[in-house]
Amino acid sequence: MQTGLRALKLGLGLLVICGLAVPSWAHEALLTNQSSDSLSFVDVDTMKESARIEVTGKPAGIALSPDKATAFVTAPDSKELIEIDAVSRAVKRRLLLGGGPLGIAAHPSLPEVYIADWFAHKVTIVDTAKMAVAGEIKVGESPSGLAVTPDGKLLLSADRDSDAVSIVDLATRQRLVSIPVGKRPFGITIDDKGARAYTANVKSDDVTVIDIAARKVVGSVPTGRRPYAIAFAQGKGFVTDQYGGTVTVFDEATLAPVKRINTCDHAEGIDADADRKAIYVSCWGDDVLLRIDPQSLTVTGKAAVGDGPRAFGKFLR
Amino acid sequence: MLKRLVIAATIVALTPLSLAGAAWAHGPSRQKVTETIEINAPVDKVWKVVGNFQDMSWLPVVEKLEGKGGNDVNATRTLTLKGGGTIEEQLDKYSAEDHMYGYEITKVDPKVFPVADYSSHITVEGEGDKTTVTWWGGFYRGYMLNDPPPELNDEAALKAVTGLYKDGLAALKKKVEGGG
Repeated sequence: MQTGLRALKLGLGLLVICGLAVPSWAHEALLTNQSSDSLSFVDVDTMKESARIEVTGKPAGIALSPDKATAFVTAPDSKELIEIDAVSRAVKRRLLLGGGPLGIAAHPSLPEVYIADWFAHKVTIVDTAKMAVAGEIKVGESPSGLAVTPDGKLLLSADRDSDAVSIVDLATRQRLVSIPVGKRPFGITIDDKGARAYTANVKSDDVTVIDIAARKVVGSVPTGRRPYAIAFAQGKGFVTDQYGGTVTVFDEATLAPVKRINTCDHAEGIDADADRKAIYVSCWGDDVLLRIDPQSLTVTGKAAVGDGPRAFGKFLR
Repeated sequence: MLKRLVIAATIVALTPLSLAGAAWAHGPSRQKVTETIEINAPVDKVWKVVGNFQDMSWLPVVEKLEGKGGNDVNATRTLTLKGGGTIEEQLDKYSAEDHMYGYEITKVDPKVFPVADYSSHITVEGEGDKTTVTWWGGFYRGYMLNDPPPELNDEAALKAVTGLYKDGLAALKKKVEGGG
């Protein structure tokens, strides 16, 4: 009886959460301007910055709540997680984490975010309802990028200094396996189906492709100098090449290189919009957000933002 | 119940302390520096001096350059500095047409130049007899962990890079304008 009631409550809870989780597409990009302690809001239809708010602590990583109404930003300088209401555009709460918080990912349905600790070789779990630490998961050395499978069951961590990816079971909060990839993986992205994960390997100038279910590497893609992060749209993968100033495009099915697009200085954060009609690139060196058309593979828009946008994570709402 | 109260009380007691600590102990975040100079010479004349990745004779601090690969992407050079120390660099992008090249430091002792993960580009833009040279760098401080010693903190890195760019561009201007 007790169990039944609990299950019912859980079920109702999930329904409520799922109801909220249907995102209304706000056509907006949120960029963490690390050098200038701010967050830029860019209207991606007009490609104009619509607002900029102060966010201290040198913000870098970003993730969005399931309903895309709240942004969670890591501040490596002040070692905090910062909660921002993306609708009213205001900082709501701050949580001191310590260590070296950078990479961040949100659960697709639960009020939970995961933050990689660069120095402590762990991922911190934060309950975003309470804005409190809810646990830790041990991973490899210097975890950087994080990604959660679309079903919410697995967390993947790019463990930079282990040259490996950890796959973590989120129900038991245990690492299941560590998979060797290229040298110094930084960004990690899971495809829309949740079948494959892709790491951008800073030191080997390539992308490693992992079959998540089989837990093995199934291929790699050469990139430009110092690849940083990856996004997908219309059957193609897009990789920001930080030092090369380019975006490498490859075919998602065959992994064959398609094109290298000249973009900007220190192309870093990259994300696709909800309907996969455009790719957006944050340029740390040039202080702009670029829009790329995944069909023509050309730059179709540019918006000036604050100084030093990183936007490491999911930043389109 | 009692245990929970004790934990709560401990958290309350600890929080102000840890917050105070955080204000002092800054984690590493990437810095950037841009310096520009206007030179009274046409762009081609300036590019001829500064546009060869294998020639740093315009930069006074460099005593010797050994390199290979010319101006092709992935070309390398090793700079030996006056007063000792070497810096190894690699060419990441090069455009003679746009008068720009980008490079990175692949190996340096932070005692020689207190930076990490350093990349840079030099851009030359001209209009008539006037040319603007921009030297841009992105980098972390030399000490990548928390709580750096003063000689390897953010300020030390910014000071070293800014000083290099300012002195280098001033010497470049002098060389181009003085060289007739």
